[in-house]
Amino acid sequence: MKPANFTYHRATSVEDAVAALADTSQMSRVLAGGQSLVPMLNLRLAPVDTLIDLSRVASLKTVDEQSSAIRYGALTTHAAFEDGRVPDGSNGLMPYVGTQIAYRAVRTRGTIGGAVALADPAADWLTTIIALEADVIAIGANGRRTIAAGEFAIGPYMTALQDGELIEAIAVPRRPASERWGHEKMARKTGEYAESMAIALIDRNRKTARVVLGAADGAPIVLAETARAVAGGQTDDSLASVIRTELVASGRDFAPAKLLMHSTVILRAVKKAAAKQ
Amino acid sequence: MKTTVSATINGVAQTFEVEPRTSLADVLREQMRLTATHLGCEHGVCGACTVLIDGQPARSCIALAVTLDGAAITTLEGLADDPLMQTLKASFHDQHGLQCGFCTPGMLMSGWDLLKRKPDIQGQDIRVAMSGNLCRCTGYQGIVRSIEKAAQTAKGQVSQTKGAAA
Amino acid sequence: MNQTLDGRDRIVRTQGVGASVKRNEDKRLLNGQGEYLGDLQVPGMAEVAFLRSPVAHARIRGIEIPEAHKGSVFLASDIPFAKPIVAVSAAKGFNASDYPALVSDKVRFVGDLIAICIAPTRAEAEDIAQSCIVDFEDLPAVWDIDVATAAGAPKVHDHWADNVYVETRIETGDIAAVRAKAEVTVKRNLRMGRHAGVSLEGRGVLAHFNRRLDELTVYSSTQFPHVIRTIMATCLGVSEAKLRVIAPDVGGGFGPKNNFHPEELAVAALSMKLNRPLRWIEDRREHLIASPHAREHRYELTAYADSKGKILGLEAVVVVDAGAYSVWPWTAAMEAGMSAGIMTGPYDIPVYHARAISVATNKSPLGPYRGVGRSGACFAIETLVDAVAREVKREPADVRIENMVPLEAMPYRSATHKYYDSGDYPTCAQMARDAVDLPGIRARQAKPSPDGKLIGFGMASYTEQSAHGTAEWVARGLPVVFGYEPALARFTPDGKLILFVGIQNHGQGLETTLAQVAHEELGIPVADVIVRHGDSSVSPYGMGTFASRSMTMAGGAVSIACGQLAEKILRIGAHLLQAPKDAVTLRDGKVFFGQQSVSFAQIGEAAFLHPERLPEGEEPALEANAVYQPGRSTGAFSYATHACVVTVDPGTGHVEILDYVVCHDCGTMVNPMIVEAQVVGGVAQGLGTALYEEIPYDDNGQPLASTFLDYMIPGATEVPDVRVLHMETPSPHTRFGIKGMGEGGAIAPPAVIINAINDALKPLGAEIGETPATPDRILDAILAVKPAGAAA
Repeated sequence: MKPANFTYHRATSVEDAVAALADTSQMSRVLAGGQSLVPMLNLRLAPVDTLIDLSRVASLKTVDEQSSAIRYGALTTHAAFEDGRVPDGSNGLMPYVGTQIAYRAVRTRGTIGGAVALADPAADWLTTIIALEADVIAIGANGRRTIAAGEFAIGPYMTALQDGELIEAIAVPRRPASERWGHEKMARKTGEYAESMAIALIDRNRKTARVVLGAADGAPIVLAETARAVAGGQTDDSLASVIRTELVASGRDFAPAKLLMHSTVILRAVKKAAAKQ
Repeated sequence: MKTTVSATINGVAQTFEVEPRTSLADVLREQMRLTATHLGCEHGVCGACTVLIDGQPARSCIALAVTLDGAAITTLEGLADDPLMQTLKASFHDQHGLQCGFCTPGMLMSGWDLLKRKPDIQGQDIRVAMSGNLCRCTGYQGIVRSIEKAAQTAKGQVSQTKGAAA
Repeated sequence: MNQTLDGRDRIVRTQGVGASVKRNEDKRLLNGQGEYLGDLQVPGMAEVAFLRSPVAHARIRGIEIPEAHKGSVFLASDIPFAKPIVAVSAAKGFNASDYPALVSDKVRFVGDLIAICIAPTRAEAEDIAQSCIVDFEDLPAVWDIDVATAAGAPKVHDHWADNVYVETRIETGDIAAVRAKAEVTVKRNLRMGRHAGVSLEGRGVLAHFNRRLDELTVYSSTQFPHVIRTIMATCLGVSEAKLRVIAPDVGGGFGPKNNFHPEELAVAALSMKLNRPLRWIEDRREHLIASPHAREHRYELTAYADSKGKILGLEAVVVVDAGAYSVWPWTAAMEAGMSAGIMTGPYDIPVYHARAISVATNKSPLGPYRGVGRSGACFAIETLVDAVAREVKREPADVRIENMVPLEAMPYRSATHKYYDSGDYPTCAQMARDAVDLPGIRARQAKPSPDGKLIGFGMASYTEQSAHGTAEWVARGLPVVFGYEPALARFTPDGKLILFVGIQNHGQGLETTLAQVAHEELGIPVADVIVRHGDSSVSPYGMGTFASRSMTMAGGAVSIACGQLAEKILRIGAHLLQAPKDAVTLRDGKVFFGQQSVSFAQIGEAAFLHPERLPEGEEPALEANAVYQPGRSTGAFSYATHACVVTVDPGTGHVEILDYVVCHDCGTMVNPMIVEAQVVGGVAQGLGTALYEEIPYDDNGQPLASTFLDYMIPGATEVPDVRVLHMETPSPHTRFGIKGMGEGGAIAPPAVIINAINDALKPLGAEIGETPATPDRILDAILAVKPAGAAA
């Protein structure tokens, strides 16, 4: 189980990486933490001619604290969140999610930018940043642009990134201090990809709620109807009915067992958030 | 096309030639003949190949050696004289924490890192923290017990050292 | 343990049989100095990557090898002298087939070997394999038992009449009479999923020619090197005297390393032809798709019982998907035959009719895996016993215990003609039940749970034929009769003991436990005993490690050999001490006469270097050979009951194990620490079968789990702290009363988990009858009885 050959380019700056990526005569990929890409290379499932290593690009490791948001460089590792080595504006949700991804020896090298770019439907950060209404900062030959997290993933492993673009940072807005989060993940094993995952954010002061379902056979689903019901104070059976209706209406064609599992997980995420009020 | 990489391996500066596709694990095993690092899956799941890269535990099967120029790599062999590792090994022996021995080096590396970070860890928390290392023989009971006892022993040793210093 | 075990006058021991001695083999393994197949290098060695079939069933029209790689790719036609592996059961009507080293005409499963590609590195060898183009004429895939047995099904082996390797029957008693008088009839259809063995180290082979010795040396990560030498010599057409097979440190076996594999034959044959060292290391994907698979059973069961749940008779149809080829030496008939042959388990069921059918499909061949056949049989009968209990509305634990073979019936001959040598099954079951506080669980179940999770209790028992010898293997009609085990016990002149044995230690602790047996006989410190195994040129011919046999068999041989040495050492020691022989004793590596002593080193020196110091007529040297066969060769029956408590989350299908108890009896325990750890390790694997592990196939015959990303084995949080209770009923027929153990832990978990889940689901009226019990399957079972929308 060894990779096919490729050429290696050690990027020295974001601009250098973007320039290398711009060569469309061949298949180039950027390497961040490599915790998903290198397994794919080993399995010969991800063809690549040139691998552009971002690990020496210092600017991708910086974290900027802005007044309304925190901008995490794409190479910020899961362990940095887990260990509290980077600032948090999510009332503790991001550090918690950092503990939930795979295993320590993966978290020390895996990065938020790499994970988001892969857009695995069952991965943790994608659902999290959608819930937190973050922005993905992409950079390419035509410069920088900001993509709302909710519009970033367009399907399983499919993103709004264009050819030649890479993720430079994830900008997460500082969430109101009055907001409470609930996170529920159903995985068959500790550290495994989720079978179902939901994040609920409830702010009683502002009478708002936000509910996102991950591991849903495609991009995470923002459940607007459910959120309205939660904000309106619905609970238990009446809320379960709203969740179910919204999932059925999502067009994802969930099998009955999955529908039940997702409904349960969403309801529990909401309950966890509500219990923190 | 081979690339020259310089890295410190178990405290010794090494320079070696690799294809970009070559994993750190293969460099360690095939070129350096450091065969304590085992390959159980080669796609980053089983944990048998766990080593330290710049002091942090990492899967050497999915770390490309070419990306590690300038890094410090530590394998089980490199911790032979480390007191905590010696405590951990003694505990694995006492508590029957191994059977076929294939997962053991990875267990020891992950266990060592765990005790460095969380010296008070016990019980279910050890299980969660060690969930990234697969063992097919022991059912984990002996491994968890070994790490738990090693934690207790190591704390005793630390307090003794402190006592002696005071 | 200070009492003598079989009445012989023996020395008080702290390291002998019964002592939890720490393991001799740990040091090298903890220091990372174990030497596994992948750690070996030979100068001039090339790495092998196999070109494997990417399709399940097709004829090969042609193979295109790029010009640049000609000379690095080898086909069946390049090793024409390698004869195919043929594993034929003596069972009447068994359909024979060839399992070639490399296929040339037709591929029969995804992973079938087509060519050997060699290069300086594995990566380059894989490049070469990837560059070859095979022109396939696709054939319809026989991807499932139902497809294989349908009328007009495409055939896996063209010269057969159908896709059935063999069907065997057991017909004991008058089933029609039982059918007529039964007050209760309970039927169930059950399925156990197909999975892999998943030793953490995969298989591997390194072959090179030793010019000086004029022999081919083959290293293989195998459980039985001597037997591999025999079949490999046959297939290569060379004498066994020109072949050496070495198993280095083996990183787990569990059965899949207990076959003769085409990879072993292919690598050895090509190495011989090229006169070049070749190494193949199985990667995880190869292991999951192409190592011999485990399980995949289907059961149709009918229990006939009275109104109290006493089972009067049982009918069973066991169908096993044995895959594309018959594995050597076990044959494709083993799994179904063993399952049907032990189905009645610990129960006194006098009337039993069964059919055991082994079906050929386009999947990786099925081979032995920890618990062989019995995990399925236990799953079947124990799920059925619970179903009977539910039917008669009684406590399953009570119905179970009442149906068991009572102590006073021992020794007992079962409806499947097995001879249960000893044991107290009901007491074992009661101990397991009592350890989990069944009344407390029933009380908890009667109240609504605060979190909506359903609590369930499960129990399952089995009896395990172990250390079976000549009679049993002859009855099974295998090509090799694994009836005995040898040991050569040899002192060095400096007084250390080396035991040369034919078993193969790969985690079982045999480098320690066999030393404990030596200590038992000789009083030699365990640390002074070295156990050598795994090398056909070093040890006497032996059968290897499988079928929970090594401690009983090799332990017996070591005991006899060391007993002979003890006599000689006492004679020499007495002579050196100028004492009467019956006045001296063995202790701590010395011979004592009162306070005076001579050390084994002094005795070794006399025996090897100074024969003039020996008693008159005493032969020089200090070594003894022994071969051991148990007193009865039909096996010593270990047994156990597992009991567990789970919660089932009806909203997610997630199962959590709250408590897990094993009460077991493997006769006399040589090293309780090791025994307990073997039980726990077995349970972990059984939980994999029960809840996690499966390789489904699609209708093209493509395996859908080929990496650890889609194939899950239990991790540290998936295995509970198993509580192990020991019973010790010595076998009347073995040295020290040892019964075999090692596999047993893996037998009961599928049954006990499914029973616990069904107990939890009982209030909903739902039931599951398939492993692994995945969240989706559990939710489907719930939704089948509960309209969607009512949940969550």
